[in-house]
Amino acid sequence: MKLLLLFLTVLSLAVLAACTNSDSSTKEEGTKGEDAKGEATKTEDGKVSIEFWHAMSGTGQTSLDEIVANFNESQDEYEVKAEFQGSYEESLTKLRSVGGTKDAPAITQVFEIGTKYMIDSGYIEPIQKFIDKNNFNVEELEQNILNYYKVDDELYSMPFNSSTPVMIYNKDAFKEAGLDPEKAPETFAEVINSAEKLTTGDMYGFSMLTYGWFFEQLLATQGGEYVNENNGRTGDATEAAFNSDEGRLVFRTLDTMNKAKTFGNFGTNWDDIRAAFASEKVAMYLDSSAGVAGAIETAPFEVGVAYIPHADEVKRNGVVIGGASLWMSKGIAEEEQEAAWEFMQYLTTPEVQAKWHLDTGYFAINPKAYEEENVKEKWAEFPQYKVTVDQLQDTVPGYATQGALISVFPESRQQIVTALEEMYQGKDPAEALEQAAEGTNRAIEVANKTKK
Amino acid sequence: MTTVRAPGVWKRSANLRIGFLYLLPSIILFAVFLFYPMIRTIYLSFFLTDQNGNAAVSVGFENYSYLLTSPAFLNSMKATGLFVLYTVPVGIILALFFALLANEKLKGIGFFRTMYSSTMGISVAASSVIWLFLFHPSVGVFNRILLVLDFPQIQWLLDPEWALVSIAISTIWMNTGFSFLILLGGLQNIDEHLYESSRIDGAGYFYRLRRITIPMLSPTLFFIITISLINAFQTFGQIDILTKGGPSQSTNLIVYSIYREAFINYQFGTASAQAVILFIIILVVTLLQFKLVERKVHYQ
Repeated sequence: MKLLLLFLTVLSLAVLAACTNSDSSTKEEGTKGEDAKGEATKTEDGKVSIEFWHAMSGTGQTSLDEIVANFNESQDEYEVKAEFQGSYEESLTKLRSVGGTKDAPAITQVFEIGTKYMIDSGYIEPIQKFIDKNNFNVEELEQNILNYYKVDDELYSMPFNSSTPVMIYNKDAFKEAGLDPEKAPETFAEVINSAEKLTTGDMYGFSMLTYGWFFEQLLATQGGEYVNENNGRTGDATEAAFNSDEGRLVFRTLDTMNKAKTFGNFGTNWDDIRAAFASEKVAMYLDSSAGVAGAIETAPFEVGVAYIPHADEVKRNGVVIGGASLWMSKGIAEEEQEAAWEFMQYLTTPEVQAKWHLDTGYFAINPKAYEEENVKEKWAEFPQYKVTVDQLQDTVPGYATQGALISVFPESRQQIVTALEEMYQGKDPAEALEQAAEGTNRAIEVANKTKK
Repeated sequence: MTTVRAPGVWKRSANLRIGFLYLLPSIILFAVFLFYPMIRTIYLSFFLTDQNGNAAVSVGFENYSYLLTSPAFLNSMKATGLFVLYTVPVGIILALFFALLANEKLKGIGFFRTMYSSTMGISVAASSVIWLFLFHPSVGVFNRILLVLDFPQIQWLLDPEWALVSIAISTIWMNTGFSFLILLGGLQNIDEHLYESSRIDGAGYFYRLRRITIPMLSPTLFFIITISLINAFQTFGQIDILTKGGPSQSTNLIVYSIYREAFINYQFGTASAQAVILFIIILVVTLLQFKLVERKVHYQ
C-alpha cells in the first residue's frame, strides 16, 4: 500500500515535470534554431516535400492551389503542399507553437503588419540570404511593394499578395445626382460635397469599413506618419504619431459626414459593406484593390474605381501596401529551405503573377506580368483594374507611404476601430483619436520593455 | 504507574491515508489539467510577457492596477454584468415555463419535449451562424418582419445599444434547451402523491405550483441557476462569431477580452490578470449563492 502510494505520487510528479520540460525545450530550440536542423522530409519517389501555410480562402485559395499544382508538375525535385490554416491571426498563432523547430512549415504566409513581429521572433531565415547566394534579381519586382518589406535594406520575406485601398463608386448614382461619373471626387472636401449630393432617402453618400487599415492609408496619403522614429523605420518606435494634425483631419472629415448623415456605418465586416454597395445603400466606399473584381461582378450598375481621397492642402502621397508576404522558416533542413526558395522564385514569374492578378485582383509583384496578353485583354475590358496599379505606381516613396513597422500593430488597429466607433456614436473626434494614441503607446511601451 | 500509550500519528491517520489514496486518481488529473494551469496563470499575471509568451519583466500588481483603472476593462466588467442580468433570469424563467408545459400529460407531448430541448443539440458555432443571418441588417429575417409591420429597422449587431441585447437573445435561445431538460427531469421526480393529496384538499393550480412544485424543484433550480450564472460569465463563442466584441466594445465580455489580449495582442500577462479577476468574481458569486440562496433550497 505504502509503496503504491509512493509510486503514484512520484508518477504524478513526473507527469507534471514532463509538462513543464517539454514547454521549455521547444522554447530553447526556438532560440537556438540552427542546431535543431533535421532531415528533410521526402516523398516516396524521393522528392523533397515541404509545407506551405497560407490564409487564403475563396477565390484566393482556388487560384493558389492551382499555382501549387502547376509548380509540382513543372519539375520533379520538390513537392509543395499548400495548407489553409485559417485567418492570418489564426495561422500566426499556430506558427507560434512550432516556430523555429523542425516541425515548422517551410513557408508561411504572414500579413503585412506581422512583419516586425516575424523579424523579431527568431523563427525565420531572411530570404536576403538566398537572394545574395543565387544572385536573384530583386529589381525586377515592384519597387513600391519591396519598399514596404525591406527593413534596413534587407528583404526578410518574399512579397506575395499585395493590395492597396481604392475608392469604389456607383457611376449610375453619380449621373442621377448630376455629378460627372468619369470624375470621382479627389480631395476630402470634394468627397464631403459629393456625399451630400449623392445621399438620398435610402442611399448614403460615403462609407468606409471600420478598420484601422483605411485610417492608416488616409493618414499616409497626407504624408502623416503612424509612429515616431520615421514610422519605426530608422529605430524602434516608442510612441504613436498618428494623433497629429493629419490624423485629426481624417477623423474630422469622417465626423463631418457622419453628423451630416451622409456617411453610412456598415460596421467592421467586409462582406456587409460590399453587400451595402451592391444593394445601392451607399454610393462611394473605400475597399481593398482585391475587392474590385467582386464589386464589378456583383453590382447591377456601372462601377467606377478611383484613387483614395487626399487632403485639400497637401499633394497626394499615395498608398501603403497591404496584404501578406511569404516567410521561410529557420530550423528546418537545408534541402527544405532550397525547395522553399525554388517555389518562391516560381511565384515571382510573370506568368504566375498574371494568373494571380487576374484571379484575385491582388497586384502582380512582378510588373512584367502586366505585359502578359491575358492581363492586357482584361484591362481593356475592365479599365478599373488598371486604376489600382496606377495608384500604386504613382505613390511617392517616403517613410509615410513605406508603412509603419511596429510589433503591436493588431492591438493598435483595435484601438483605432474603437475610436472610430465611439466617434460615430457622438464622441469628440480629437478626444477619440487621443485615446487610441494612449492605448497604442502603452502597447508599444510594454512590447519594448519585454523585448529580448 | 503504567500509562496507556496513545496510538501513534501513523496509526491514527490510517483512515485519512486510505481516503487520500481513493482520491489520488482525481487529484492527479486535477493537478495536471486544472491546478497547474491555474497556478501558472496566477504566476503569469504578475509579469509582462515577451512575444513568445514567456514571462519577461516582473511587474508585481501593476497588471491588476492597470486593469482596474482601464476604462476598457471596466467596460468589459459592466458589459459582462449586464449580460448576466439579461440572460440568466429570463433564460431560467423561460425554461421553467416550457418545462411546466411539457410536464403535462398530453398526447404527443414527447414531440414537444424533444423540440424544446433540441437547442441543446446544436453547437454554439452553428447556432451563432444561424443567428448571424437572422440579425443581418439588409437580408435578415427580423428586419424583414419589422419592414412588413412598418416598424423602423434595427441594426441588431451594429448598434451599440442593441448588440448586447441581440447576443443575449441568441444566448437565451441556445441555453434554454439544457435548462429545460434539467428542470423537466426535476419536475418528473416530484412525487405524484403530493399533487393527489393537495387536489383532494382542493388546492388550485397556482397554489400547487407555489407550495409544492417550486419547493420540491428548488434543488434543481439552484443547480441550474448556479450553472447558468457561471456559463453566462464565461460566454465566448457567440461573441466571437456575431460581433467580435464590437461595436464600441459594447459586447466585449471578459472572456472575449481575455482571448483578444492573449491571442491577438500576445499580452499573456494582462490576459492572465483578467482571468484571475474573472475567477475571483465567479468564486464570490458562487459563494454568495451558496450562503444566501441555498438556505431557501428544500432538500428532501
